[in-house]
Amino acid sequence: MSKVTFIGADGAVTTADAQEGASVMQTAVSYGVAGIVGECGGFLMCSTCHVYVEPKYLDRLDPPAEDEDEMLDAAAAGRQPNSRLSCQIRVGPELDGLVVALPESQY
Amino acid sequence: MSTLSSSSPSPRAARAPVADWFDADYLFGDPLEISRRMRREGHDIVFAPLLSLHFTCSNAVGRAIWSDTDNWCNLRGEIPLVKAIGPNLMFKQDPEHADERAAVNPSLRPKTVTDAWRPVFRRHAERLVDALVEQGSGADVNQHFAVPYAALNLAAISGLTQASWQDIARWSHAFIAAAQNQLNDPSLWPPAERARAEVDAAIDVAIERLKLEPDDSMLSAMVNRPQPFPLDVIRGTIRLAVTGGVNEPQHSLLHGLWAFEQHPEQKRRLLEDPTGFASAFDEVVRWLPPITTVAREALSPVSVGGVAFQPGDIVVLQVSGANRDPEQFHDPDSFNVFRERKPHFAFGGGNHLCAGIWASRAATEVAWTMLFDRLEGLRVVDPDATEWFGFTYRGIERLPVTWDAVRSA
Repeated sequence: MSKVTFIGADGAVTTADAQEGASVMQTAVSYGVAGIVGECGGFLMCSTCHVYVEPKYLDRLDPPAEDEDEMLDAAAAGRQPNSRLSCQIRVGPELDGLVVALPESQY
Repeated sequence: MSTLSSSSPSPRAARAPVADWFDADYLFGDPLEISRRMRREGHDIVFAPLLSLHFTCSNAVGRAIWSDTDNWCNLRGEIPLVKAIGPNLMFKQDPEHADERAAVNPSLRPKTVTDAWRPVFRRHAERLVDALVEQGSGADVNQHFAVPYAALNLAAISGLTQASWQDIARWSHAFIAAAQNQLNDPSLWPPAERARAEVDAAIDVAIERLKLEPDDSMLSAMVNRPQPFPLDVIRGTIRLAVTGGVNEPQHSLLHGLWAFEQHPEQKRRLLEDPTGFASAFDEVVRWLPPITTVAREALSPVSVGGVAFQPGDIVVLQVSGANRDPEQFHDPDSFNVFRERKPHFAFGGGNHLCAGIWASRAATEVAWTMLFDRLEGLRVVDPDATEWFGFTYRGIERLPVTWDAVRSA
């Protein structure tokens, strides 16, 4: 099982065992990680699963599709070069050890 | 791992407490009273024998159910809304539902809302402020602004631009009346049937135009898709948009005007800085949601919040109650446009999250901003005398307003 680490804006760290093929958002929600909401269930309609991906993992991700790119601009916390919507990041062996930081707020 | 829900009921999960107190009177009042009674009794989830279904007033239970599309779906029986408007994506499951939503979501995402729809909203608001002014002080802002505004906006977004706003409003209200026709009043079905036929005819006309001149509308997106949808899918989505896309923004606009009036200090601060209307919208719909009940049906044995559910069990989330869950919101019964924003259920949640969430926020913000900007001293005439109607689609139907002076555009 791959591991994903969430670093909250308050510094709280949660390391989760992610189901293969699950999204980082789904993993956060099933672990009750405060700081990720995922209000729309992963359908690119809410921008409330915004994360900052630790740079060394960024290159392992496919770049955002047009819809995700548009929704990132709508994220409440400022968009950074390493911003992604975590519902669009599927967990797999190549991302084992993924670390993401959470914004101050999703609203 | 979250322990709030698990598929296959845990040994400790029990059947929900029975709400013998739930009688027919609750169906004729404010649904919030159901949640208030549940909280007084100390229950997050109850079973109401009168309706053979469960109610919940808990934000956390709602979140667990609405995000769990493996074990829960929208109601599958023939419910009044489906009888009124026919099969539509709200009652389909993924991947079918996801496919149909994916076709129209681009028309409703923030970029299109900002680039295509905001200018349209502003044009409609300007025209309707002038019309309201012509009616004179004491005019009903529902009849002379909120209804036509919502209908004109929906025409643009849906693609039914050649339909009159009066027709669109009539169709929407006919669908809504039939959708909350739990008691099967026979007089409510014929207007909905007529509305269906008229909406379908309007769709046929619009399709011909949009094939030649595509635009940013939902219908244009569906019609000009590389793999065309069958007509019944297109009709279902547009009928749904007409149902939800008029009544709800209409009520949100009014509920805000009423709420601001009841909270003069917040109103004063919003008038000083109208950029606050965008986040005020979220608090208005949290506190006075235009849809007060949403439901899910269990697909498999599953436990949530300590209650064991069986396949076919129905859970009704009482939205205004869940939106005032003290576990989620500080001082939940207070209206506070400056509170810290947290997720609530005014737009549902999960994969069926309302597609109109961005458009309605922008449209309502544009309207409030323009109304207060153009009408100096705008206020509700007698807010304490305001009446509320409806159960699931509960709202204000008449709201006289007055003002001191008119500022030019």
